[in-house]
Amino acid sequence: MRQVAGLISTYSSDEFGICSALYELGGMVVMHDASGCNSTYTTHDEPRWYDMDSMIYISAISEMEAIMGDDEKLIRDLTETALEMKPKFVAVVGAPIPYMIGTDLPAIAAMTEQATGIPCMGCGANGMNYYTKGISMALEAVVRRFCTGPAKRTEILSVNVLGATPLDFSLNGSVDSIKDWLRENGMVPGACLAMGSTLEDIAQAGRAHVNLVVSYGGLAAARCLKERYRIPYVVGVPFGEKFSQALAGMLREAAASGQDLVSYRRVGRDRERCRADSPLDRKNPDSPRLSLIGESVFSASLAAAVELDRGISARVLCPLDTEDLLLREGDLQTPEEDDLMARIPETELVAADPMYRVLCGERQRFFSLPHEAFSGRIYDRVNPNLINRKLEVSLC
Amino acid sequence: MKKIAVYGKGGIGKSTIVSNLSAALAERGLRVMQIGCDPKADSTLALRHGEPLPTILETVRRKKDAFALEEITCSGYGGVICAEAGGPVPGLGCAGRGIITALEKLAAKGAYETFQPDVVFYDVLGDVVCGGFSMPMRSGYAEEVLIVTSGENMSIYAAANIAMAIENFKGRGYARLGGLILNRRNVKEEEAKVQTLCGDLQTSIVGMIDRSELVTDAETMKKTVMEAFPDSEMAAVFRELADTVVSRQHAADES
Repeated sequence: MRQVAGLISTYSSDEFGICSALYELGGMVVMHDASGCNSTYTTHDEPRWYDMDSMIYISAISEMEAIMGDDEKLIRDLTETALEMKPKFVAVVGAPIPYMIGTDLPAIAAMTEQATGIPCMGCGANGMNYYTKGISMALEAVVRRFCTGPAKRTEILSVNVLGATPLDFSLNGSVDSIKDWLRENGMVPGACLAMGSTLEDIAQAGRAHVNLVVSYGGLAAARCLKERYRIPYVVGVPFGEKFSQALAGMLREAAASGQDLVSYRRVGRDRERCRADSPLDRKNPDSPRLSLIGESVFSASLAAAVELDRGISARVLCPLDTEDLLLREGDLQTPEEDDLMARIPETELVAADPMYRVLCGERQRFFSLPHEAFSGRIYDRVNPNLINRKLEVSLC
Repeated sequence: MKKIAVYGKGGIGKSTIVSNLSAALAERGLRVMQIGCDPKADSTLALRHGEPLPTILETVRRKKDAFALEEITCSGYGGVICAEAGGPVPGLGCAGRGIITALEKLAAKGAYETFQPDVVFYDVLGDVVCGGFSMPMRSGYAEEVLIVTSGENMSIYAAANIAMAIENFKGRGYARLGGLILNRRNVKEEEAKVQTLCGDLQTSIVGMIDRSELVTDAETMKKTVMEAFPDSEMAAVFRELADTVVSRQHAADES
């Protein structure tokens, strides 16, 4: 049956993507929605909720306010609260109700900004898109709004990390490991959008030599920084040993040439050599042995790393928003459970969130890769950090 | 690029007037795009001689995002670029939300950059009954709203209502009220009633169109008056109104 998840979980929505991306930036994020289940986004599922403060609110729109289009109440509430809390910015986030009644969030943000003098942004989420779209929307909005001044390049090669949120990278140290990996390779981590950096750090993003896009959610911000500051971007996550080395080289190359690169597609051109090196794969060199299910940049990077480190050919099944550019030949983007069920049995190995195990056959070997955006914090404690380390038997 | 939204009571003649204005401006050598914002999808019918044009919403429903701009637009009389938002079947769904989605999709498909029109007309269904129908007057869309009205009371009420919506949106960066177009229905003291309305709304009559059988004759031929009867007095009226509309907006932009 199409558009139905009968066996597996569903991914977080765009609203949560926005909340997650803006969580650490000192802004006031207001979801314009009825109260109730929205708190799920920021309490039950948000792993930073218990250790880090963030101003996340629900407007608690009522039935009559929706019917009568009472935008004035929202503007009054936003103004009053913003003047009291003094956030660095206000983000008014859409939801199914404002989406259906056509609420003009950018106009409401503009009027609130006029009343408070605080930068305000409207984010047109509707609760029907994946979190990936929300991250993309939020990070692009932040860059467009706050990365505006002139920027002088740093002396040492510096790299911004774009698209990092716990929804894809958990709180298992992966994002810090990416920064450590940059340092080990003689580069300086610039701003990280959006974990571990302040809004002021992000405003200086134009000083970096190159942007590292670690998820689909970071691509729109990278394009914006390219347009404004001519900073090239490289797409990829430094998984494994050999792929991490290759990716570091590509960052240097992009900084020198100004050309954008999708790292794992370049490694992909060497896939034949990779297969030939692998005794495991010679039996059937044309078909992948491993299916990786998940976010496109994360999964395709890991696929490339598995091929280089372990000599096992892999392909990605991406159920989320992405672009053809972010996938490799043989990868598949589909949100349909039916499609996944048809394709998963094609490989003997599967690496995915544990909640996908139900779609696998008894003879398939399953490797657990918990994905916060899919299974929340259930598998927090067993979520491996695979950044810049040789992929051992734990995965393959 | 001039972007103009045309509102007015249902059945007052908006599509007929807009199509003739589009044709008249195309005749002047301008590149014109006319976007029907009505589930009935009949705004550009006369420009495309009744030929079918898939609506934007129906195309989105069938193909999601996998379609090209050419599939939802066509070149009509005089090279006018035609597009129809479309909408749900009567009695179901949400037409207002449909207008928002259709206009966003048209923009996302690069319609304005691809065609680079000199003039864009949004021909909007009836009154501003909900958020969706204010979309054509929002920031980034029309800069000016023209309201078509006759001297009939219901038409005047509708015009006042639309003007009130524009007034309410002051401060949001929406379109300004550009004036009224009087489409005569030959009711008593028609011009005086509309002039009174103009006084109340602090606006003016941009143009007056007399009732003429040529309009219905052209409609029967599935053509605009500009195409069917180019030498008629009606065609001259539309030409004059088209020139006024564009020059007024040009002056407003400059001021």
